[in-house]
Amino acid sequence: MKSKPLIIAGALAAIAVIAGVFVIALNLVAQQGARPAVGSPAPDFTLKLYPGYRAGLPEEIRLSDLRGNVVVMNFWASWCVECYKEADALEAVYRKYKDRGVIFLGIDYLDTEAPALAYLQQYNITYPNGIDLQQQIARAYRITGVPETFFIDRDGIVRDVVIAPLTEAQLSARIDKMLAD
Amino acid sequence: MIFAKTLRALICALLGILMLGWLTANVAYAQAPAPDEETYRIAKQLNCPTCAGRNLADCPTETCAQWKAEIKAQLDQGKSAQEVLDYFQTRFGPTVLQEPPKSGATAPLWAAPVGAAIVFLIGAGLVMWRTSQRNPPAAPSTPQSEGEDPFVAALEREVRQSE
Repeated sequence: MKSKPLIIAGALAAIAVIAGVFVIALNLVAQQGARPAVGSPAPDFTLKLYPGYRAGLPEEIRLSDLRGNVVVMNFWASWCVECYKEADALEAVYRKYKDRGVIFLGIDYLDTEAPALAYLQQYNITYPNGIDLQQQIARAYRITGVPETFFIDRDGIVRDVVIAPLTEAQLSARIDKMLAD
Repeated sequence: MIFAKTLRALICALLGILMLGWLTANVAYAQAPAPDEETYRIAKQLNCPTCAGRNLADCPTETCAQWKAEIKAQLDQGKSAQEVLDYFQTRFGPTVLQEPPKSGATAPLWAAPVGAAIVFLIGAGLVMWRTSQRNPPAAPSTPQSEGEDPFVAALEREVRQSE
């Protein structure tokens, strides 16, 4: 009989904890949002570029400032083995299209600076690259890993997403299609 | 005589080899990276960024190896443990910490157990108080006479008979 009040109080406490966790979970889900679907506007973000990897852009850029250009946005990391496979292709295609209104952005994900810069140097990468501070861009785009590449058209609309290393032909085909539209 | 000389030479050679081995071992031991307790202690407070639920110190992945190297490099530069942790939090966000910050969005995680304990205590107190109000303490019990409860009287009679 005496344990009944304790059971009720325990139940109340459990309900309070569950309600608290539920509120936190809802908050986290609301913060994350949904992955931008093909055909939807690309979430805006600010990217701080690495020194020496700005290609004429300011130290800090906003995606919305690049409106009017085709943007190829590639998430990568120096510890990512799959990223090595597409590094040469990305640089080659960047050089091919850089004077045709196409901007490549390398977004360094969960990386420390020294290995990241060593990676960029190793693959002779020259297109703009920067660190995704606090994983804000990765969260906005809900990436599932690296490499992951988003193709954004001149109007800031996501035209394609590829979750795998890309070849030169695959990159060129997607860029040509966006330039032709 | 020749045997003694050969034996002496063999012993000298053996001692030489042993000495060389000992020296080499010492050199190798000296060159091996000494376990860095401070790096390990800091790594223990960080999460592996690529595998869920694992701390940095105990994770063998390439990412974690890089992060541990970064911790060591920063400590070698003279940064304090807190400065190193702040660097990782600023660069990678609060989710990198094993213990979420006690402020901001993660504050409820710390407040929830305290809140639950308070709710539990208040609830238990209230319920016990109400129970005691509903059932006031019984009057001092008096020894029951046999005539008050026929069942008890019969039971007592049976017990007495069986004795």
